[in-house]
Amino acid sequence: MGLLSIIRKIKRKEKEMRILMVGLDNSGKTTIVMKINGEDTSVISPTLGFNIKTITYQKYTLNIWDVGGQRTIRSYWRNYFEQTDGLVWVVDSSDLRRLDDCKMELDNLLKEERLSGASLLILANKQDIKGALTPTEIAKVLNLEAMDKTRHWKIVGCSAYTGEGLLEGFDWLVQDIASRIYVLD
Amino acid sequence: MEDGNGGQNLPTKTLDSDLDPNLQKKHQSMLDRLSARHQTRLDSSLTRLDSSLTRRSDLSNSSESTSSFLSRFSDSKRSIESQLAESRQIASSDPARLKSHLDDISSSISELEKLVAENSYFLPSYEVRSSLKTISDLRQNVESLTAELVPKKKFTFKNKATAKKEPPKELEIEKSNSVSTKTSNNFVIRDSPGFRNKANEIFEKKFRGSDIGEFTLSDLDSCEVRLSGCFDALFINRLKNCRIYSGPVTGSVLIEDVEDCIFVLASHQIRIHLAKRSDFYLRVRSRPIIEDSNGVRFAPYCLEYQGIEDELEAAGLGEETGNWANVDDFKWLRAVQSPNWCLLLENERVEKVYVANLETGNEGS
Repeated sequence: MGLLSIIRKIKRKEKEMRILMVGLDNSGKTTIVMKINGEDTSVISPTLGFNIKTITYQKYTLNIWDVGGQRTIRSYWRNYFEQTDGLVWVVDSSDLRRLDDCKMELDNLLKEERLSGASLLILANKQDIKGALTPTEIAKVLNLEAMDKTRHWKIVGCSAYTGEGLLEGFDWLVQDIASRIYVLD
Repeated sequence: MEDGNGGQNLPTKTLDSDLDPNLQKKHQSMLDRLSARHQTRLDSSLTRLDSSLTRRSDLSNSSESTSSFLSRFSDSKRSIESQLAESRQIASSDPARLKSHLDDISSSISELEKLVAENSYFLPSYEVRSSLKTISDLRQNVESLTAELVPKKKFTFKNKATAKKEPPKELEIEKSNSVSTKTSNNFVIRDSPGFRNKANEIFEKKFRGSDIGEFTLSDLDSCEVRLSGCFDALFINRLKNCRIYSGPVTGSVLIEDVEDCIFVLASHQIRIHLAKRSDFYLRVRSRPIIEDSNGVRFAPYCLEYQGIEDELEAAGLGEETGNWANVDDFKWLRAVQSPNWCLLLENERVEKVYVANLETGNEGS
C-alpha cells in the first residue's frame, strides 16, 4: 500500500480537507476565513506568519491555512504546499495596479508540483467596492482560460465584507475535493 | 630476499633451468621499479616539506603578497567603480548596450571574488572580511543600478527599485513587469478614480454618494491632497515630498514607494511598503505594518474638518485604539525595536491640521 493511499484512507475516515489560502497582501484572506467562521471581522491586522482554522463545513472538517501575503513572507508559502487538497487564491478586485503582480504570483504557484492535484478556487474579493473588476474581468486579466486542462478551477466573485459569494465558492471547492478524494455517499 | 625467492624457486624447479636467469631478471626489474617508486615518494614528500618550510619561514614574502593582492584588488575595484559610474551615461546615450555593460560589471565582480578566494589562504582574516564586504557592496550597487536603469516602463519615476533591498526577488519582479504589461495590453483596464502624475498642486475631494469607492493617488511630486468623507479603499503609489490628509477609509490603505511625505490617515488597515523618511499620523483599528521601509515615524491622527467626528464614528473609527504606535515591521521579525521606524516625539509632531470643509472639490481625473 502506497503512502498516498494510506493518507487518503485516513482522510476519508475523518473527512478532512486541507485548504491553503494565499494571495497578495491586502486581498482579504484572513477576513474571508473569519467571515466564513462567523467571527468578528472589524479588527484584523495584516497577517505576520499564518493562521490555522479548523471549521466544520457540511459534513467535512476543513483545515484552513491562511498564510500572510506580504512580499517578504511570500517565499514561505512553499512550506505549506504539502498535502494541500484545495487552493484558494484571493484577489483584491479593486487593486488594479497590482493585478500584474497578482498574475505573476499565481502563475508561479501553479507551476508548483506539490499543488498540481489541488482544486483551485479563485475568489475575486471586494466586489462590494465600487470600481472593483468583475470576476469575468479578473479571469481575463489572470488569463485563467490558458490554465492546464487537468486543473479543476473556478472563479467566484465575493465580498468578505458582506459575506456574499463566499459560500458559493467554498461549496464548489468542498464538493470538488470530495468528488476527487472521497467516495461520495 | 633470498628467502622470498625460495618459495618462488620451488615451482621453478619443474621448469627448464635456462628460464631461471630470465626469472631472476624479471625479479630484479620489479625490485628496481619498487625502489624507484619509493624514491619518487620520498622526493615528493621532501618537496612538500620543503615548500611548507619556505612558506613558514618566508613570512616577509607572504606579507609582500598580501600587499600585492591588495593593490590588485583595489585596482579592479576602482575599474569596476568607474564602469558603474559609466553605466548611468550609457543608459541615457545607448540603452541597448546597457545590458551587456552591466553583465560585464557583474562578471568582473565575480572575477574579483575569485581572486579573493584564491588568495584567502594566506590573507589575514581582516583583509578577507573587508574584501568580501567590498565585493558585496559592489554587487549591491550593480543590483540597485540594474533595478533603476533596466526596467524601462513608461511614465515611471526611476526611484522605485532603489529602495528595495531584496536583489534576487527584484529580478523576478522586473521580469514579471515586462511580461505582464503584455497581458494588460490585451485587456485594457479602466483607470480607477484618483489624482495622478502631477507636481506642485493642491487637490481636494469630498466623497459623497456615488463617489464612494476606491481612490488612487499616484506619481505625485510636491503636492498636497485633502480627502474628506468616508470612502472604501485608498491606494497610494510613488509620491515624493507630498502631504496627504484623508478622512476615514472604511477598508484598507495600501501605500507603496513614498519619500519625504506626511500622511494623516484613518483606516481599518494600513500597509506601508517602500517608504523613506516619511511621517504617518494614523488612526487605525488594526496594527499598521511596514515592509522595506526606513526612516518612518508614527504619531496619532490629527485631522480636523467640519463633520469629521461623525464620519469617523460612522466608519467605525470613532475611538482611538492606540494602534498607531503598534507597528509591525515585516523586515524586522525580532523582539527588539526595529531600526526602521520610531514614534514621533510630541514636540516634533505637527499641530492639528485643520482643513476647511470642502463642499465642492475638484474631481479626480
